[in-house]
Formats: sequence, C-alpha cells, structure tokens
Amino acid sequence: MNFHYLISELYYQRRRTLAAVAGLSIGIALLVILNSLSLAYRQAAHAPLQEIGADITVQRSGDVPKELSGIVFPCSAVTIKAAEIDKIEGLKGVRGVGRAVLLWVFQPQRAWIVLGIEGHNNVGPGVLRNAVVAGRFLKEGQPEALVEAAYARQFGIKVGDKINLAAKSYAVVGLVDASRATKIAVANLYLPLREAQRLAAASAPIQSVSPFTPEDANLLFIKADQEKIPEIAAALKGMFGKKATIATPDSLLKLLGSLFALSDRFTLAASLIAILVAVLIAFKTMAGNIAERTREIGVMKAVGWTNRNVVMQLVGESVVQCFVAGVLGLVLGIIAAFGLSFMKVSIPIPWEMSPTPHFLPHGGDQIFKTLNLPVHVPWTLGAFAIILSVVIGGLTGGLLGRNISRIKPSEVLRHE
Amino acid sequence: MSNTILSGNDLSKKYGDLEVVKQVSVAVAEGEFICLVGKSGCGKTTLLSLLSGLERATAGEVRLDGKDITSSSEDELALFRRENLGFIFQSFHLIPTLTAWENVALPLFPIKMSSDERRARASELLEKMELEHRMEHLPSALSGGEKQRVAIARALINHPKILFADEPTGNLDSATGDAIMGILNNLHQEQGVAILMVTHEAELAKTADRLIRMHDGEIVS
Repeated sequence: MNFHYLISELYYQRRRTLAAVAGLSIGIALLVILNSLSLAYRQAAHAPLQEIGADITVQRSGDVPKELSGIVFPCSAVTIKAAEIDKIEGLKGVRGVGRAVLLWVFQPQRAWIVLGIEGHNNVGPGVLRNAVVAGRFLKEGQPEALVEAAYARQFGIKVGDKINLAAKSYAVVGLVDASRATKIAVANLYLPLREAQRLAAASAPIQSVSPFTPEDANLLFIKADQEKIPEIAAALKGMFGKKATIATPDSLLKLLGSLFALSDRFTLAASLIAILVAVLIAFKTMAGNIAERTREIGVMKAVGWTNRNVVMQLVGESVVQCFVAGVLGLVLGIIAAFGLSFMKVSIPIPWEMSPTPHFLPHGGDQIFKTLNLPVHVPWTLGAFAIILSVVIGGLTGGLLGRNISRIKPSEVLRHE
Repeated sequence: MSNTILSGNDLSKKYGDLEVVKQVSVAVAEGEFICLVGKSGCGKTTLLSLLSGLERATAGEVRLDGKDITSSSEDELALFRRENLGFIFQSFHLIPTLTAWENVALPLFPIKMSSDERRARASELLEKMELEHRMEHLPSALSGGEKQRVAIARALINHPKILFADEPTGNLDSATGDAIMGILNNLHQEQGVAILMVTHEAELAKTADRLIRMHDGEIVS
C-alpha cells in the first residue's frame, strides 16, 4: 500500500471521500448516541437505589390490622423473618444486606412514619449519616431519634426535644434532610434499628397480622454484583412469591416508559439499522468511486501491480476513510451526548417503596427522583465505534477491491 | 543476428466464436523496432496484449528470454510486466490524482523503496523528457504531448527490455506526434530499447526496423 497515493486519491476525490465519510459518520454517531442514551437511562434508573447504597430492595406486602391505630406496618412492608434474611445473605452475588423496620405510628395528635436504621451499615438508610443538617447522627443502642428537617420545621421540633413512642421517650439528637438524600423509605422519624424492632415486636396490631420478633425486619437493602442482579432478583421472587416487591434497576427502568428504557432490543435494533444504513451509504459511495477508477486500476495492473497490491491499496483507502468517519461520528456522538446530558429525567418511585398513609396530607402523591440524564460516552463504546468503523472499512475495501482487481487490463485500456 | 527476447508462437485469440488473432507467430529481437500496422479491428492491439501478457491466448505460447509465460498466474504476469515491459497507450492513461512524477513512479509504488528514491528516478526521466518544470503538476494541467511524455517516462522507469506502444500518437496533433516519435526513435537508437508499436499511420511505420502487416487476425507480410 502506498500511503502517498492513498492520501492523494482521498484528497483529490474529496467530494466522494466526504460523502462516504459523512454517510458512515452519521451512522456511527447514531450508534454512539443510541447506546449512550440507553446506558444513561439505565444509570438513571439505578440512581434511586444507588443513593441508598443498594442495588435491590426487598419488601413483602401483607394484611393491615382492622384499625389503623398504635404502631402498625404499612401494607407494603410486613415481616421478613431473620431466617429469610440469613438465606438472602447466603445468595451468590450478594455483597451486603441492610435491614430496616418501617412503622406507621398513629397517636391521637400526630402520625409518625418511623424508620429503624442500622447506623453503621453502608447498605441501606445508614447513608443518612451524611444528610444530618443539625445535631448529630444516631448512636446504636441509645434511645434517641433523628427527625426529618422539613417535618421538624412544620411541627416546631428541635434538637434536644423528647418524642414519646409507645410509652418510651426518645431524645431528638439531630435533624436530617433525608428527602434530598434518598427517595426510598423516607420517614419523618429515624430510630436505631434495635429500637424500631423492639417497638414492632411489642405492637399488638402488628403481631395480630404479621408476627414479628426483635431480629426480624420489613425492609431489606441488598448490595450485589452488577451482573448477578437479575439472578438474585429471580431467586428473591422465588423465595417471597407473589407478595414480594423486589425493586431493581431494571424494574425502575420499566417505570420510565422511554423506548430506550423499555428494551435493550430496541437499542440493538436501532443501532443495527443505523450501522446498516451507514454501511450501505459507505459501500455505495465507495463502489461508485472504485467503478469510476476501473481504467486507473487497469493501468496499475498493466504496469505491474499484482491483485494483492491493488486490493491492499483500496483497503487502505477504505480503512482510512472509515477511520476518519468513525472518529468524526464519535465526536458528533460525544457532542450530542453533552447536549443531552442537560435533559432531566424523573423516575417515579412506587408508593410501596416509600409508603405514606393516604389520609395524611400529600399521602398519595407520586414521588419522583429527578436528575439530569447522565448521558456520556464510555471509552469502551468509543473504542467499539472506532474498531467497527475500521472493520467496515476493511471489509468494504476488501470486498470491492477483490472484485475490481479481477478486471483484465486489456479490456479497460483499449482506446475508443 | 540479434537475440530474440520475446516470441509469440502460433498465437490465437477467440472471443466466443470470433477469432480475432489466428495462429500468429512473432519474434522481437533485442533492440528491434517493430511496427504493427493494419486496419482498425484487424487484431493488432489484441496481438500486442497477448505478447505483453495483458491478455491470455486461446492457443499458442509467449516466451520471454526463452521462458514460457503462457501458463503464469495473473500475479506472475503482473510481476513479469513490471520487470521487463513498458507500456504507452494512445489515451495516455495517467492517474488523474497523481502528479507527473508520481505517475512516472507508479510502477515503483508496490516495491519497497523510499519515496526519495522513487522521486529521484522519476525526476531523472522527466528531465530527459524535458518536463522537470512539470513534476508537481496533475495530468489535468498538462498538454497532450506532455501527458504522453510523462507516460513514456513511466514506461521507462523500470528499464524495460521492450516498450509496447499502442497508437502512441493517435490522440496528438502531427507536430506533437512527430516529437513523440522522435523520443521513441531516440530510445531505440541510443538506448537500444526494443519497441513494438501498433499504428495505422503508414508514415510513422517507415521509421521502424521491421513492419508487420495484419489483416483479419493474420499476418500478411
């Protein structure tokens, strides 16, 4: 392959070169942006779980007591036995499990949504330790509480106040802006897990519908190996049956409803179509170019170029064109990704994952996690786009070159 | 008598039922200038193609320096042409995207050689063709005579044993044609390059050592 000749050919036939490069680069840009968008929706759907340090949440729905008074479980989160939790911890791919107990506490003047949390655990609502806006975080084994900052403002609760639940007093040691930190399992009062377990175990209404011991929980947060998430979710569904609410990035993705979010197959099909169209454009343009050069190739063969010399020259031209198209397509894709990264996406959080009594103000409101769509082009996708372009170039050039190199110089060089 | 460097023995070429070259035998001696003349369509260009390995004969054999090249592969024929033959065409057939010196160096492109060396060899030939000032010009910027001189330089770049010229003055005015013929005669006389030239112009044929007349695919004299 003669590089000088290659560059001369591409430079002087720049209209054709630009047409081929433009056609393929648009296809590559579409491939890059479609896959980046798909990836971005996946990452966005993971965000509500990630911010609470988990990949999967597990709840079990069940019956509610006849009367909503005293301490009860929401219908979406009833007892998960300690033995079941141990079993989950033993599942392959599970890297950590966080436990919590979510309670509705109805008092004559006030209703509380109480969440018992493991302060030391990074998986689950323990991450709220970073959301304390006043006072300090909870200490394990102490009868103390954190209050949601907005709720505290609304009811004039301050650090140092006492809150009585089931005849026990809890000192308010801090205020936490939980709504900013997470949208899952948001409460207005946070207790150490042990305290919430004790309250639940001592609650007659709870025991009447969902027997509970102080080792049990009703919310689980699971950190897992990414590639094992679907497998673990399937195992959990098998373990808990129809009454399970298993939230995974995929289940949240489905709630988004976007075409990109709905199906990997759509992204794959759209990418394939984009590439196919791009390849056809590139192939047609290059085929036209090579057909116009029949005589030129006849001359090359007449003066001593072998078929292999001819093919290698054409492959070189094609690969360089497609490489440039790949780089251009990638740059276009990155620019488009940057533009799209300003787009907002709102992920609906199912009521079951952050249950609020419907009869309370805003109790039935849909909660959304809103964030900028994290569109970016990973280097693996960029490298794939470039490699794909070069492969397309090689195959196109090779195919067309092999075909044209078979011409007989005598047939194309005869004078008119 | 000089040595025979190229010979075609009982060469025939058929396209379907049409036989355009009929059992023709030709020998080219070292340094010989042969003109192949005849009416249009009599088979002269086909014979030239058969002898130069651009076309395969239906029957007969071609020998270069005694070696039979008839059964050589396409790539072997290409290498044979690169090492032994030079071509000059009526329509010049320069590569439009290459400059004059690059066109001259075209046969050297597949050979491992530095660009400077290629350029030096092309420059030397272009100087001999009095085209040193046109080295960087594209064919579109050259006159017909200049294009043909570039084509001659290209044909000479590999020091060929034989030059095949197919109507080399056919697309040129008479003055330019005479100049091109002057160059060919000069190559023949001073450098001893054998030339096999196809022409239909009787005047041009007079300069040749030997005249071969063709009619209806056969040599008539």
